[in-house]
Amino acid sequence: MNKGLDYLFGITAGDRDGDAPGVISLARQWAAKEVIGNRLDYQRNYAALFEDKARVLALNMGLQRLAIPVDQGGFGWHGPDHAADIAAVLSEVGRADSSTGVILALNYVLFSVLTRFSEGRPRLVEAVATSYLEDELKIASCILPGPGSAGEETPLFKGRSILARVKAHENGFVISGADLRPFAAGLKADLFLVVCADERGRPCIAVVPGDAPGIERGRGLLTTGLSVLANADISFVETEIKQENLIQGPEAVPLLFTLLNLFLGGVSLGAGMNFFEILLDWSDSRIICGSTPLKENPLCASVLADAAEEIACSRLLLDGLARLVSPCRSVQPLDTEGLYTYAVMIGARVQQSIMRAINRGMELMGSAGYAKEWHAEKHWRDVKTIQSLLCGMGAEAPAKMDTARFFCDCKEI
Amino acid sequence: MDHFDEFSRPLEYLSPMDRHLRSVLRRFIEQEVMPVRRQYDEDWKEHALIEPAFDRLMGELGLQKALFPQEYGGWGIAGSDYIFRFAYLLCEELGRADTGMAVALAVTFWPLLVIHLEPYVNKRLIAEFAPLFCGTNKAMFAANAMTEPQGGSDIENMGLLKGRTIRTTARLEGDEWVINGHKLWPTNSGGVARLFGVPCTTRPGSSDIDDFAFIFVPADAKGVTQGGPYEKSGMAADKNGDIWFDDVRVPVWYRAHGPGRDAEAFYQLIPFGQVASIAFLTGAMMNMYERLYEFVSTRTYRNRPLKENPAVAGIIGRIAGDIDICRILGHEAAMMGDRRNTPYGLPLISEELVGKIRNIKDFVSDRAVENLGKVMDVLGCYGPDRDWDIEKHWRDIKIIQLWMGGKQLCQMESARYFFNCETL
Ligand SMILES: Cc1cc2nc3c(=O)[nH]c(=O)nc-3n(C[C@H](O)[C@H](O)[C@H](O)COP(=O)(O)OP(=O)(O)OC[C@H]3O[C@@H](n4cnc5c(N)ncnc54)[C@H](O)[C@@H]3O)c2cc1C
Repeated sequence: MNKGLDYLFGITAGDRDGDAPGVISLARQWAAKEVIGNRLDYQRNYAALFEDKARVLALNMGLQRLAIPVDQGGFGWHGPDHAADIAAVLSEVGRADSSTGVILALNYVLFSVLTRFSEGRPRLVEAVATSYLEDELKIASCILPGPGSAGEETPLFKGRSILARVKAHENGFVISGADLRPFAAGLKADLFLVVCADERGRPCIAVVPGDAPGIERGRGLLTTGLSVLANADISFVETEIKQENLIQGPEAVPLLFTLLNLFLGGVSLGAGMNFFEILLDWSDSRIICGSTPLKENPLCASVLADAAEEIACSRLLLDGLARLVSPCRSVQPLDTEGLYTYAVMIGARVQQSIMRAINRGMELMGSAGYAKEWHAEKHWRDVKTIQSLLCGMGAEAPAKMDTARFFCDCKEI
Repeated sequence: MDHFDEFSRPLEYLSPMDRHLRSVLRRFIEQEVMPVRRQYDEDWKEHALIEPAFDRLMGELGLQKALFPQEYGGWGIAGSDYIFRFAYLLCEELGRADTGMAVALAVTFWPLLVIHLEPYVNKRLIAEFAPLFCGTNKAMFAANAMTEPQGGSDIENMGLLKGRTIRTTARLEGDEWVINGHKLWPTNSGGVARLFGVPCTTRPGSSDIDDFAFIFVPADAKGVTQGGPYEKSGMAADKNGDIWFDDVRVPVWYRAHGPGRDAEAFYQLIPFGQVASIAFLTGAMMNMYERLYEFVSTRTYRNRPLKENPAVAGIIGRIAGDIDICRILGHEAAMMGDRRNTPYGLPLISEELVGKIRNIKDFVSDRAVENLGKVMDVLGCYGPDRDWDIEKHWRDIKIIQLWMGGKQLCQMESARYFFNCETL
């Protein structure tokens, strides 16, 4: 590839200031040196190397501390102003490895949510921050509303079933819920952000330490991608949390979804960009019909163009979403509902586009695209996993309902 | 609809074996494959779980004998007028459980068809190879070793390139062919197959189809080296690797038919492979439907089963509709193959038949890739979970879109026929 990713897709990179370019470049160096430069070795010894490399990034290079507030010893990138920069960092990480990207994305979501609702709960932020400052790779996960079971009425968040319940207990709360499916890392997570329903059925977020009594972790699941994150179902059996560990109010859950869509969009975009780099290498060197470089065949060139278009448009959409998240940069601030709707809409579109880019690109790679050795297929599996997890259930239908409700004031859907 | 069997297919097209063989296969699948298929991915290298199932399917049930004439202990299917429909039912039924397993069986037929299908029958070679497949209760595999490191599509693009890019050479020395070259990716390579069908050139760089040779090579011939299986995204029941031929000598009569006829007999494999591919896909999509049905009936949105939500129903209705259409098309493609020797049929090597069948395969592949991806999203957080089986099919079937020259070659061959293109 002779033009470089920044030139091809980074048209808005010039907007960044302060420390952002440095941090982004650090993440890029990590990706190049630790993973992309040793792809084959990384792939062959993935289970063993994954954590080593993630540690280098999170601990040695300090990215685990990026979103921790400054007064707690972190870098302070937890506010809306840094949303775009965080997404850009995650794209660099996603280029190398989506699972590492997902760990960091969930970490940044965690601190963005905690700090946004820190009023009245100073010890919670401090306690979580302190543990994240230790020299250990920390993994947060979240449990989102999703499909319910036929015959069981549950409280809803915009049509999606909330399967965890929380009720007041002594000086705090207890959570219950069986066989809940976390976003990732059910076996490994040190902390869960659990969307649960309070006694009046209202959605709220419980911050549940992974070692809280009453947490039962199911057997490890075999998954399409992100397998190294070791997911498993979680049950809460009267799990007690402190009062300040419950975040209530109508803004909490929408914010969680908004940030997940933005940050995981960043990870998938990065995976898509690296897939495109692999595809370009292939199409530069592969000869078809005895003498024609693949990319000079007009039909193949149009497939390459399709892939490029999907990635470039996703990049612009994500930049747009980041601007909406940071009100000072956006033209017209959106309320919680508006922001949530744009995030879900753009988030779904970005995941679809990246999947389309990879699916189309794989067409040109023949068997090489299907072989683990080439790494293209890993991006394909990882992004598909993120996409399915993020949409929750029902394919695009629930997000379309959210959109129709916001734009058209639908009341019954 | 009560059952996935009710997806449409023209009943008048069904082969005489359809009902019986389908029930035998279904019992085999339910007993031997369904209970363990979720573990196949981890078994990609050893085949400790997969091999016993193959022994039962190919050896004990005897499917590896199917093409051979009855006088050799075979079933005589290659001489019937329903070989394509037979293959369709077999591949669809097995594809429902595991497309990798279906591919390994169908590809065993592939090189053998070159010597079995009228008007390209080589009785001496049939007699030579029959004992290998008909004389054992253990699974016996063959491979069709076309693809080379510089590209697979070109070798299948016989219409345009006529074998010009093939680098594996066959040199006649006395009464032996001496073969040199490197093939990769054939199904049943990686140490599995006992017999290879090898497309080679007798004059490198030639576009004269007389210089195309299809030669059989026993896997244990001196000078044959095989690499281990590649690790792939899916299709674990199919092993694929490298094969090197280094001055490999085989008797002169191991060449299928001779100049000109080899290319024609080989070209018949393209429609056969495409029809089998369509059947793998409709089989996988039928299983997708079964699992999807369960999910959307038992899981809810707004506290009602997903399938009762009109927005979700719009999505899943389209998916099931696509399966119905694809299955009709698949049977039509199989029937095109079986009509080949009738006055209203087309020879398997005609541009029209190849173009039309490639077109159907391309269409069905696209529907399958898109629908399995969509169903993963319908399952949402359960979509990537192996326990729901959808993600396995999603991984497995992607390669069906990419193999046999890939999507773009399908598009080119369709355009060539439908628009009389002269330079593509
Ligand atoms: C599970 C599995 C099973 C397989 N089984 C077999 C087997 O049994 N036997 C065997 O020989 N091989 C087999 N293969 C290999 C497979 O068939 C080839 O990989 C496939 O044909 C594509 O070839 P290629 O990978 O070399 O890609 P290339 O041939 O390099 O093609 C790359 C791209 O160029 C496009 N292209 C090529 N020619 C043209 C053209 N004229 N116009 C426009 N676009 C074009 C292709 O469509 C593709 O998109 C198998 C592979 C797998 C993974």
